[in-house]
Amino acid sequence: MTKRLVQGNEAVFLGAVKAGATHFAGYPISPSSEILAQASVYASKHPEFRFLQEEDEIASANAILGASLAGAKSFTATSGPGFSLMQEAIGYGHKVGIPCVIVNVMRVGPGTGMPTMPGQGDLNQTRYGSTGDYTSIVFYPSTVAECYEYTIHAFNAAEESRSPVIILSDAFLGHLNEVADLDSIEVPVVPRTLEPLASGSTRLFSGVATYPDGEPATADSDEYIRQYHEGRERSLEVAERYAFHEYGWNKDAETLVIAFGITRRVAQPLAPHFALFRPIRIWPTLDKELTEIAGRYKKIIVIEGSDGQYANVVERMLLRRVERVPLLGGRMSLEAIREGLDAIGMLPAESAPSGSESPAGSPAAPASSRVG
Amino acid sequence: MAVKDKLKTDLFPTIWCPGCGIGLIMQQLATVMDGLGLDKLNTVLITGIGCTGRMGAYMNFESVYTLHGRTLPVAEAVKMVRPELNVIVVSGDGDMASIGGNHLLHSIRRNPNITVICNNNEIYGLTGGQTGPTTPQGTNTISSPAGAAYSPINLQGLVNTNPNSFYAKTTVYHQGPMRKAIKEAIEWPGFSFVDVASQCIENNGRRIGFSSANDMLQNYRTEYKAAPPGSTHLEPHQTGIVKGQVPTGAVPDNGPAGSGE
Repeated sequence: MTKRLVQGNEAVFLGAVKAGATHFAGYPISPSSEILAQASVYASKHPEFRFLQEEDEIASANAILGASLAGAKSFTATSGPGFSLMQEAIGYGHKVGIPCVIVNVMRVGPGTGMPTMPGQGDLNQTRYGSTGDYTSIVFYPSTVAECYEYTIHAFNAAEESRSPVIILSDAFLGHLNEVADLDSIEVPVVPRTLEPLASGSTRLFSGVATYPDGEPATADSDEYIRQYHEGRERSLEVAERYAFHEYGWNKDAETLVIAFGITRRVAQPLAPHFALFRPIRIWPTLDKELTEIAGRYKKIIVIEGSDGQYANVVERMLLRRVERVPLLGGRMSLEAIREGLDAIGMLPAESAPSGSESPAGSPAAPASSRVG
Repeated sequence: MAVKDKLKTDLFPTIWCPGCGIGLIMQQLATVMDGLGLDKLNTVLITGIGCTGRMGAYMNFESVYTLHGRTLPVAEAVKMVRPELNVIVVSGDGDMASIGGNHLLHSIRRNPNITVICNNNEIYGLTGGQTGPTTPQGTNTISSPAGAAYSPINLQGLVNTNPNSFYAKTTVYHQGPMRKAIKEAIEWPGFSFVDVASQCIENNGRRIGFSSANDMLQNYRTEYKAAPPGSTHLEPHQTGIVKGQVPTGAVPDNGPAGSGE
């Protein structure tokens, strides 16, 4: 494959195949349905890849758990409302320790919301959507090439953490077409870590609290705490090796902008005026990295497609107030960002609103340093 | 006896109530598995939430103790990825036909080669005794003190929406026929559903007037009659096996997912 036009959703699918996925179960839902379509076409040509369009998202999420236990690297793709339906299964995946990947191409919520408009309002849901305590690993790319790259990382992190890892995207990025040479992106693939079903053991994979031998442990707080810490430490240790983020733009500026996913791209023309911190690993939070960088800046502005979900997280991380530019209702434009900055008195003098909507920033991939 | 090898007897006694019907199903399932040569290398159990779901822990197989109502999506996916495995779902009436109802509808439609054994005690036993989808109309339960308001779901009718399905009705009293039904269900090359009437004395039976588990078992003996051989439909309180048509035409013989087949 050489350089060619690739769609964001397509890049996610190709990344999954590259990572060794051999099973997909899903349900059509805008703006993610292209991934389902790609999977069905691929399966028709590659019998070793198994595909099923399920009756709903609950079936999809549970199916990928079963497929993974059976030995296949497995994934599904959905949007906010479907992601809500998958929460119980996600919690089960964390409790039992099942590697799999869930792609959430975000729309504007809540409810059925605005199915074809980009939003970033699922951040809290990716961390806390299921009942109880668990440690989520979540990545959110900003370019089509990154959709491919970070999907492979997601499968790797899933194998190492033995948990469901989430790839976030959005209606804009999912349907964005960019020129990319995906073959030139090299990410080593972590092989399957979980012994498949019926390999000689008699394991019990239980969502209910049990002792290792299968006896119920439904009243043993010490055993719960032991198992919980084991899972949390494992996920945190794995996440450390996936501390992807970007720090760039004008590092000498007075103000730090925090933006991620598609908003980072839309805000690109503001680069001369601000420093940028872009989390690519959304969860666990990049406390160490952001704390060190944020200390250099008098002010911080979080530009995001929700009413402050990440801004609240940043304030907790840094124990300081931040400014907010919420991009609501799917209005992901430079114009909207300028208006938001103006509203908080932080619009740079040289970049007054031009009166024309420019939905994307520079078409080139981010030039600043990416680390992780 | 090799049947004991199918059970994790070191975990006995089980947590089921004295007089529970589930143990009777487990015993016959273990017997069938021994006879068919099913073991931990060629068979997996998928169990649902409810007292029945505990069965996986007591058997010498890999088992997946799923979320409530979600045995079928898990089972179908396991079978799709590992077609060489025998996949047996063991669950209860509420798990299969209420919260799991949509999956039941669609699994029947898709006809995967899996076997479902349904411990049908006509109640939500583990939570104390609430009305379930198969509770007979008028039954006094915790959530229907004035009598269950609606007629129960027609499990046989649902299974038979697919002409290739296998449906059996039996009871835990009729151990020989139950064993036969389970065996033939496992052997059936498609979706098979064994509907086993089973007693829950503690959280159902006592409330509706039975004095003991044996009382309930004797009730199965007197109430249920074998359907005439060759019956294509079972009437209420008839035991029997109704086999659909074996699908014709080539079925792709895929190996495990990722194998290149």
